[in-house]
Amino acid sequence: MKIKYFVALYVAKSAQTAMRLLGRNATFLPGKLAEKLCKNFLSYMTPPKTVIAVTGTNGKTTVSNLLTSILQDNGYSVTNNSFGSNVQAGIISALVADTKLSGKPKKDIAVLEVDERSSLRIYPYMKPDYLLCNNLMRDSIKRNAHTEFIQFIVDKALPASTKLVLNADDMIASGLGTKGQERVHFGLEAEIPEATEPQHIRDIVYCPQCGELLQSQYVRYNHIGRHYCPKCGLKSPVPDYCITDIDRDKNTFTLRHGEESHTYNLINDNIVNAYNFCGAIAVLTEIGLTPEQISKGFADSKIVKTRYEQVDAGDLHITMLMAKGQNPIACARCYDYAAKVADPDKALLLIVDDKDDNIGNSESTCWLYDCDYRALKDASIRQIVFAGPRCKDHYLRALLAGVDAQKIRCMESAKDGANAIDTTVSKHIMVLFEMYRADEAAMVKKVLKDRGERGV
Amino acid sequence: MVVEILFEEVCGLYGDGQNVNYLQATLPQAQFVRTALTDEPYFAEHTPDLIYIGSMSERIQRRVIEKLRPYTARLEELVEKDVPILATGNAGEIFCKHITYKTEETEIDGLGLVDLTVETDYFNRYNGKVLADFEGMEIVGFRSQFSFMQGDNSKNYFLQVRRGDGLNKKSKLEGFRVHNLIGTNLLGPILPLNPLFCEYFVGLSGAQAEAAFKDEAMDAYRQRVKEFSDPEVKF
Repeated sequence: MKIKYFVALYVAKSAQTAMRLLGRNATFLPGKLAEKLCKNFLSYMTPPKTVIAVTGTNGKTTVSNLLTSILQDNGYSVTNNSFGSNVQAGIISALVADTKLSGKPKKDIAVLEVDERSSLRIYPYMKPDYLLCNNLMRDSIKRNAHTEFIQFIVDKALPASTKLVLNADDMIASGLGTKGQERVHFGLEAEIPEATEPQHIRDIVYCPQCGELLQSQYVRYNHIGRHYCPKCGLKSPVPDYCITDIDRDKNTFTLRHGEESHTYNLINDNIVNAYNFCGAIAVLTEIGLTPEQISKGFADSKIVKTRYEQVDAGDLHITMLMAKGQNPIACARCYDYAAKVADPDKALLLIVDDKDDNIGNSESTCWLYDCDYRALKDASIRQIVFAGPRCKDHYLRALLAGVDAQKIRCMESAKDGANAIDTTVSKHIMVLFEMYRADEAAMVKKVLKDRGERGV
Repeated sequence: MVVEILFEEVCGLYGDGQNVNYLQATLPQAQFVRTALTDEPYFAEHTPDLIYIGSMSERIQRRVIEKLRPYTARLEELVEKDVPILATGNAGEIFCKHITYKTEETEIDGLGLVDLTVETDYFNRYNGKVLADFEGMEIVGFRSQFSFMQGDNSKNYFLQVRRGDGLNKKSKLEGFRVHNLIGTNLLGPILPLNPLFCEYFVGLSGAQAEAAFKDEAMDAYRQRVKEFSDPEVKF
């Protein structure tokens, strides 16, 4: 079997080299090939000294990038799959690239972003030393069904030896680890404000142990918050790593761990990212980095440009914000974030249809109805343009959420959408785009920049 | 007019919950009774004009069945009385005879109002679309499920499927209809997606109402019927 493994390794490495020579990413196919040639290929690989898995519905890439960047800044060599696929083939591809011909790993640490659905194909074979789970929330209906299912498969796949780093404010994520795994929790102090209106969807309502209706100390968004069961006493765990303050004026946040508190640079003020940062700090501390080492990394890091970018062109201010189509909560958080940006005359251009699902197909729009559109009612949003093949569905969905029809326009193409915005009304245009439509987002940015520079 | 929504707090997966808001927008004068899993159902002592229940997780499904089991005879009575009941996604399965949960190696008797059985398998997710005929209407919708109903629904099916699958992959007859109890695997926003069916369902209660945002809903509906009818669109 070892021979089969080495044959597969060499073939995958050759394929990787060839693909790179052809200018291709080689972040999926080599892994696919390796697995095809040697079943359970992952189980034969020698892992780096430390393997960190990052999973959860939202924030995997942000956290993986942050971990990788801070570890590298501190002199560690890191294998990472964030620029490729986060399913089995992507993870194998990343590991193959950083494996010597002898089969030994080239790097000290692997930071692996792992798709939840792929858990059963990965964790039993490449046992992570640490697993960070940000959150488990409603996601793609087709793939992920519901959170009970996702929690079931992640939990089933996790080895007993893995140390879990879990979001204390997510009772579904913090419910992972039924094999007695060691664990730490992270979270945000209750006093840090966020929306308190009734939540559109909550993925946990009844106590998972006894079935009683859960009571909430507070709800931050969806089911993120602190809950307890009045019957059996189950409650959200107390965070070992806790953000106690976010200072948006100074762009900093303070995190308490044990008796000590440290202040870090706030890379992005979206509350979702506060959880991402908190989880990343927890992992880095667990593997032995000091607050000073971590803090240095935070000072240097930026959210990747493809995810969040601000551009000025003439008197137009353009914000490009990546959203995740088919993912109702991630998308709703983007709507919410856009609504809260302090600007009284914003325009929103929404390009959130699933590109692939509309080629020779007709996208399932069920997710639109799980997504909370109420933030779009905000008076500061003066114009909304839905651009894409499903614009009529978005329009109807927005009307049902109570959004004023007068401020909505529907356009079949992203380019028409960019041209439909009235720049005499709105000087700040926020473009929310689906992650696989980055090419259209780039084109839209160009159109808007051009309009800004020409003053039209 | 009273509309009872069963267990909305846990039976609204996949966008099903918004059928309730659409009904509410369609019937602004109606009283909506939202029965939680911890409440006694309104229908136990009263006769609602419409009842709706949406998709749920498998664990919740077992709990819903146990919750409703003591009311089986009453539900049967309501069905006989032609009270319109719409169950979307896997909600219709609770009315079947028996459900087997393959992955969890457990099984449960359903309420037995419909002579069908169900098999659920976490490792066999099915996704699909449906273009179907019903009472002179074209119905469009989506399916995403772990389970299939088995049995003979040839005498009590809901939809005659033109494109897509019916009760299971071998069938073109989708769901079931017993009097005005309609169970369908179509999930998500079936009412806003099908404004004409929404009007039909409301009409079963004797009420007449125009579907909310009808012009906009019809625009989206016509586009979807056109796409689903296009042979280039894969099913």
